[in-house]
Amino acid sequence: MNNSMERHLNILEFTLASLLRRKAKNLSLLAMYLLVVFMLASLLFFVTALKREAAIILNDAPDMIVQRLMAGRQDLVPVDYVAGIAQIKGVTAVRPRLWGYYYDALNGANFTIMAGDDSAAGSGKTAIGSGVAKTRNLMVGDLLPLIGYDKSPVMLEIGTIFPSASDLIAADLIVISPDDFHHLFNFPAGQATDLAVTVRNPKELATVAAKIVSRFPDSRPILKSEIQRTYQSIFDWRGGMMLLVLASSLLSFIIFAWDKATGLSAEERKEIGILKSIGWETSDVLLLKFWEGIVISLTAFLLGTVLAYGHVFFLSAPLFAQALKGWSVLYPHFRLVPVVDVYQLAVLFFLTVVPYTTATIIPCWRAATIDPDAAMRY
Amino acid sequence: MRRSLQYILFTAAVFAVVLLLSLHARNAQHRRGDPVPQMQNLHVTDLCLTTEARYTRHPSMADRHAPFQEHPLTLEHFPSGSLIMPNLADRYKP
Amino acid sequence: MIELSGITKSFNSGEPNQFTAVDNVSLVVHPQRITVLKGPSGSGKTSLLTMIGCMARPTSGRIFLRGVAAAVPFQQEGMDSVEITSLPERFLNDIRRSTFGFIFQQFNLVKGISVLENVMLPAYPTGERRPDFRARALGLLEQFSISRHAGQRIELLSGGELQRVAIARALINNPAIIIADEPTAHLDSKLSQEFMAIVGRLKGEGKSVLIASHDPIVFDSPLIDRVVEMRDGAVVNSGSSR
Repeated sequence: MNNSMERHLNILEFTLASLLRRKAKNLSLLAMYLLVVFMLASLLFFVTALKREAAIILNDAPDMIVQRLMAGRQDLVPVDYVAGIAQIKGVTAVRPRLWGYYYDALNGANFTIMAGDDSAAGSGKTAIGSGVAKTRNLMVGDLLPLIGYDKSPVMLEIGTIFPSASDLIAADLIVISPDDFHHLFNFPAGQATDLAVTVRNPKELATVAAKIVSRFPDSRPILKSEIQRTYQSIFDWRGGMMLLVLASSLLSFIIFAWDKATGLSAEERKEIGILKSIGWETSDVLLLKFWEGIVISLTAFLLGTVLAYGHVFFLSAPLFAQALKGWSVLYPHFRLVPVVDVYQLAVLFFLTVVPYTTATIIPCWRAATIDPDAAMRY
Repeated sequence: MRRSLQYILFTAAVFAVVLLLSLHARNAQHRRGDPVPQMQNLHVTDLCLTTEARYTRHPSMADRHAPFQEHPLTLEHFPSGSLIMPNLADRYKP
Repeated sequence: MIELSGITKSFNSGEPNQFTAVDNVSLVVHPQRITVLKGPSGSGKTSLLTMIGCMARPTSGRIFLRGVAAAVPFQQEGMDSVEITSLPERFLNDIRRSTFGFIFQQFNLVKGISVLENVMLPAYPTGERRPDFRARALGLLEQFSISRHAGQRIELLSGGELQRVAIARALINNPAIIIADEPTAHLDSKLSQEFMAIVGRLKGEGKSVLIASHDPIVFDSPLIDRVVEMRDGAVVNSGSSR
């Protein structure tokens, strides 16, 4: 047992010495490998964390949103619908939502304005997300100037700035009272943007949605599960786009690594002959090549994973957050809560370490089975 | 120390870091604060990942195809403009 | 003692280009002696050496190692004899590593790694502890007065130094028998004589040495105990111990 351990250590020792003699070549190979793993792992971490974030935030979302469609487009919902929907069995609450977008011509940012109850903002007051505060350089107690529908200024006092921990939902939010909302946008009374419906038993959601549609044929219910699905597919799609962009560089790396790993130079072939002639067995030579593959690929995999983790979760993925999140004037700076999916890491491991190591060993197989006396016949 | 041991120690150390990071992640998930209470009253449905276009700030509230129409190089969603036939059976299910 | 009985080695047997490199050779090589296989190239010297050194198997015939096969886990035919031609590959390798040290015509050193590393190379797969064989390797380098080159790459060494590195490497696993194939082919006369002096020293340390050569410096050397002359795969003069 101890013997075979020593054998491994000894052969690993020679592997390292042997890799080190082509230092520049092997280090650049390692660096490229590292970069590829780093990019893939970053992508994996980023998308997984965003999905998790979305799933958690959407847990608090209303069970169902009811929109109204008019001529195929979304329209305001009459508040009368509330009573009708509330009568449906299983519905516990129906709340009209008032929200919309506010384009800030000053810095080109687009804010989300929502009407909240008094707990968020009373009349003439507002609660804003930290993204808004940063863009406008505002503090609690300052006045937030908004331009109304008729170009008249509306000044609101800032009562609250949401903590940056909530940036992932609230960075661009401006919460104002319903009265101010109506006033600012000339929003018609008796209407709402959409309705948030709460249902007692989530299993009844589909039934309730069907009943709403049959009672109000122009309504479009959006279930929470549909919202969640939308997010999963957005991130999958974005991640896929990134992967597509990475694909060409990935491919060229694979070709390079394949060439490097499989191409057995005459010198390497001769070396294997020498090792055989001085008493190395075929299995010893293959072990040597195994370690050669492992040293490069495992190191790249482990380091790449660690660097990717730091990149995504400590530095908020500066390298490709833009591509994944879009190019935004008001850019939400949020820190993702780290999440590691062991299954995904295992897949990454099997996609990087295993093929490379195999590609290193296989071509040596034939060279390693030459007769030990071949070296005497040069 | 011999090089092979150095390498193994190094690899073990990096592996330990990977394990520690996954513990760190698990811990962070446990420690994640409750959602800001004010947010719960607002019934927000979407993430603030980008802000400009209505379909990116509230993708789930927009038309069904909107989330996928945001990129200049995006593939056409509607059957008439598609290169590959979209799965109509799926999309128009009631 | 190595005993060969009726050793024949044919290549491409059964095909039109079949040729017999070694033809029915029977020979006894005595321990702690220097034996030279002498003959022109193509006379079957190298083939005979590879078969004795467990690198290749004869087409027919048997080879016995007596009194030197301590490393083999089992022994046949009495206490200290082993018939190597019938052994499975695994054991053959074990015997080769522990019993024989090889010195090649081209030295066969691995480029790019240090002299010390080259000398230790045959010991790596044995599973011996590195500090042990490292100390032995340093001792050998010391003995051949090349220890100041220990950390250097072999490309920087002169021909004579390479020769000594190759000898040191052959000795690293403490073999009882040294096998050298045309060791002086690439050396000038002075270095060849130096080589013979080293071989004499090895004999003094109790090693058996088996050399294939057609260099007069080798087979005319006074250190040689016995010259076996070969031609066309057969022994023409099995010489007697001097």
